[in-house]
Amino acid sequence: MIENIYRPFKVIISEIKQLSENVRLFRLKLDREIDYLPAQFFMLGVWGAGEVPISVASTSGRDPYIEFGIRKVGKVTGALHELKAGEAVWMRGPFGNGFDLKTAHGRDIIFVAGGIGILPLRALINHILMERHFFGRLFLIYGSKRPSEMLFSDEIPLWKEAGIDVILTVDIKDGLWRGYTGVVTEHIDRIKTDFREACSYICGPEVMIENTVKELSLRGMPDHLINISLERRMKCGIGKCGQCYHGIEYICINGPVYTYEDIKKRLALYGA
Amino acid sequence: MIERFILDKNDLSYWLRQIRKNASLIAPVKSLVGDVVFESLEQIHEISLDHPLPPPSVKEFLFPQIETMFEYNGDEIKEIIDEEMRVVVGLRSCDASAIKIIDRFFAGETGSDYDMVHPNRKYKDPYYFSRRQNTVFISMGCNVPGAVCFCYNLGAGPFLDSGFDIQLIDLEDRYLVEADSEKGKGLVRRYDYLFRKVETGDLEDRFEALLSSISKFEKRIDLRETGQKIKNSMPDSFWQWVAERCFECGGCVYVCSLCTCFNIVDYNFSNQSGKRCRIWDTCLFKGFTEMAGRVIPQEKKEQRLKRWWFHKILYYPEQFKTFGCVGCGRCTITCPGHIDIATLSEKIMGWR
Amino acid sequence: MVAMHIIDALQRGAILIVADPRKTMLAGLAHIHLQHRCGTDVVLLNSIMNVIINEGLVNIDFVKMRTERFDEFEKVIREYTPQMAEAITGVPEEEIRRAARIYASENRTMLFYGMGITQHTTGVDNVHACANLVMLTAHVGHTATGLNPLRGHNNVQGACDMGALPDFLTGYQPVSDPDIRQRFERVWAVRLNPVPGLTLTEMISASLTKRIRAMYIMGENPVLSDPHTDHTIRSLKALDFLVVQDIFMTETTQLADVVLPGVSFAEKDGTFTNTERRVQKIRRAAIEPVGEALPDWQIISELSTRMGYSMNYRGTYEIMEEIALLTPIYRGIRHHRLEHNFGIQWPCPDTSHPGTAYLHRKRFSKGMGTFIPTPYIPPAEVPDSEFPFVLTTGRNYFQFHIGTMSRKTITLEREDPECFVEVNPEDARSLGIRNREKIRVITRRGSIDVIAKVTDRIIPGTIYIPFHFHEAPANRLTNPALDEIARIPEFKVCAARIERL
Repeated sequence: MIENIYRPFKVIISEIKQLSENVRLFRLKLDREIDYLPAQFFMLGVWGAGEVPISVASTSGRDPYIEFGIRKVGKVTGALHELKAGEAVWMRGPFGNGFDLKTAHGRDIIFVAGGIGILPLRALINHILMERHFFGRLFLIYGSKRPSEMLFSDEIPLWKEAGIDVILTVDIKDGLWRGYTGVVTEHIDRIKTDFREACSYICGPEVMIENTVKELSLRGMPDHLINISLERRMKCGIGKCGQCYHGIEYICINGPVYTYEDIKKRLALYGA
Repeated sequence: MIERFILDKNDLSYWLRQIRKNASLIAPVKSLVGDVVFESLEQIHEISLDHPLPPPSVKEFLFPQIETMFEYNGDEIKEIIDEEMRVVVGLRSCDASAIKIIDRFFAGETGSDYDMVHPNRKYKDPYYFSRRQNTVFISMGCNVPGAVCFCYNLGAGPFLDSGFDIQLIDLEDRYLVEADSEKGKGLVRRYDYLFRKVETGDLEDRFEALLSSISKFEKRIDLRETGQKIKNSMPDSFWQWVAERCFECGGCVYVCSLCTCFNIVDYNFSNQSGKRCRIWDTCLFKGFTEMAGRVIPQEKKEQRLKRWWFHKILYYPEQFKTFGCVGCGRCTITCPGHIDIATLSEKIMGWR
Repeated sequence: MVAMHIIDALQRGAILIVADPRKTMLAGLAHIHLQHRCGTDVVLLNSIMNVIINEGLVNIDFVKMRTERFDEFEKVIREYTPQMAEAITGVPEEEIRRAARIYASENRTMLFYGMGITQHTTGVDNVHACANLVMLTAHVGHTATGLNPLRGHNNVQGACDMGALPDFLTGYQPVSDPDIRQRFERVWAVRLNPVPGLTLTEMISASLTKRIRAMYIMGENPVLSDPHTDHTIRSLKALDFLVVQDIFMTETTQLADVVLPGVSFAEKDGTFTNTERRVQKIRRAAIEPVGEALPDWQIISELSTRMGYSMNYRGTYEIMEEIALLTPIYRGIRHHRLEHNFGIQWPCPDTSHPGTAYLHRKRFSKGMGTFIPTPYIPPAEVPDSEFPFVLTTGRNYFQFHIGTMSRKTITLEREDPECFVEVNPEDARSLGIRNREKIRVITRRGSIDVIAKVTDRIIPGTIYIPFHFHEAPANRLTNPALDEIARIPEFKVCAARIERL
């Protein structure tokens, strides 16, 4: 009998936190041991609506629960938002590759997040804070459209306390906003580090990733130290359904994390 | 080690009848208006082996067009695993070659050094393999290739050297029966009284039939050269030209014996109960890559078409060391826009 | 399927001329694309005939031997010079000339038309103009020629053949003819009403005046498919009693007193008749009827029996026998004759007749072909300062009709999930409309909000909306003005305005 990797297991929602108008953080009770890495994803499902790939926002080995931040955009995420604490989510995973942390050992790290790209980076940041002594100085540039869409305003002070240099920026500011404005790439030069020795982790919309990679590369950051995470439509999570194709790759099994070196070598090569 | 036997043509129906006692027998049957389709064989004499290639490929017996994965009812999940014994007879070498390749795909092992780079690929598909384990394919070598066939150029026919369950080769008054897999050998050994040993003359006749078949191919398609050309020198205007001729009907993908993309959908019976199914899908549809919020990574038709070609002609060789095409020519028959593999490949070689 | 054959012909070297206000996929492959303004079909066709006459490309022998009333027609055509046509249709004069020369001078030419010709207040004129063109050049009556209407559904021809028309019994036998009526009365043993009934659009309106008080709708969703949705809903609500028979619940079944579950093509047997008059047998039901559903003929028989007229058919083959008995063009058609072939084309006068591949061979079925002059009459509603755009409606590739079936199919719905309005980039720029912006389309009858698709597929001054979507029903906007003879509504042209939200 072959293990049925398509069969989901049931988990109960213990708590739901509203992070912004249409983003909620779902905390799930785990009745089994699951090891996962930052940027890995699970398929979360609701009967009748289907499944979506969601990357983990919590940190394995630190948190006794598992958390997912979900923005309401489509059918399945809409159904997930209908759920209340105590109700069940059907899940499979973890799938995909997590961020490679070994190459970051001994280096300064720049995290760049756009919009809900902060969710997988939150998992990463908390993971790195657990092993703080392996790494150099830490920087976070986090951009979102409006101040009201900025997530984890309660956790960002904790990160600052832990010694992370945090730069917050919004596209459209309101009366109360005291931080920066503009896209994330405009603030890269506020980071005082040797870009040729540092490494970076970037999550967000594809255009933002593209621009950030370009800017970091221009400042001399080596290709293999620029880490990104891509997003695609996925149905199986295990490299069968084909929906997450990107050139030769299936993002679900070969990604979702790539270095800029991988992108140049494996994806951009064929341009299709 | 391939085992070879001779079966008198008069005894084929007896053999099939014995096989049918333990398994459902699927074979090409001619419908009333002349279409040949694979069906469960009711009357043994209805089998139609001297036909052109049946339009649907046999992949549907391993990977059906729509398949229930499991039924759910609140907390309960009932897996629907198909374990029916099947013997499919009368498929052609191209289809048998295709099965060899999709076996590797669904096993998550390309069998090349690609696996070493991407160890994460090794997920085995339970639905595909429960069927595969219980299915024996008895394929036919082609003595007379069809007008659209080019399997010979891809090493996928007209006869196969290995990797099949059972291969029948028509030697006019008798069949040369070649069994390669254990399942195939079992199906011959169990009825050994029907078969006689192979003699030198039989193998000479096989060779003669092969030479004669090869000489009859009308198409010459070199996908290696086509691949080099699309990789290096086909302009965007070419893909634009192709896109103008693509109706997005998905026909090429549905008839292709190697295309395996699917979608997973839920059908609810009630609020908490229903079934989760997978259905064939095609990367040529715009919605295939559509993410929530109408973000479509491959929005342009020419991008999608280009990627389909790249996948079949460049990516497959890189991963599986074989083309994503077995030269069956089904897309040539199906494509309304005349941009199937063979026709477009010729077009590409002539494009300046 | 027809387009597939057209492309095959192109591949073999045929020349393709497409006349369509939109740049469709076929238009992209055509040698000449005449992108005329909506509702100016007659002008375009007349001017093509003008060129043919002026340049001496008329098949004179054919006109003399097989047609009548040419002179009268010629006088009208003389007025439609290509220069004048360019002004009205927007198609360059030279293109018209080229198209006319190619059409007339090829040995064999086929003319195809779809709803774009018929769904106008001048629908009958448009068809006459097509027929005139065919007769003028003698491209009729033999292989690969003729006037080929494309139907919107697979069995429209069959429904018309079976008398689903207000003024005909089966096989186009007028209900007003006493001899014909008598024959039916003898076989059916009932009295028949000699007065022709109402057309679909008339029936909808007649319910408001209580002229019609009960209605039985089979397999249609007029709430979405008829023009002026609000009017349709009001009319159906005014009925005392409404029965709807369909395979799915629709916007129309919601208004019904009784809903009868019918079956899909896969659950029934019988015949479909396609646009080339080919009567084809559906082999056998692929699946048993789902739930309480019954095939249409069983529902009708049952209803009829309970209403006091007993219908006892053993199967659809018995009904076909009755059709053959009463319908000269189906005289020789029986189910068993359709089993081993691709069907039979009527007229088929006896059981050994192989069917008729081409109508009008050697002579027109009515005798001489009549040239009917078709002077240009503008659409019922033309753009003005208040409603400056021409709105036209049509279908998308991934959806079928009003989506009762196709929108329930997961892959099709995923590909084409939302309504849109095509706007030319020029118009979009002047109105400040961005691609994928939600805008409002308003006509004298109503308004809908849809997503703008800025594309040069459509000519400036014209906008296009597909009518598949109940969330944004295009037919809330369309004009219910009718063609006087065919009583078909003008789906294809009305005046509209667009506004940013």
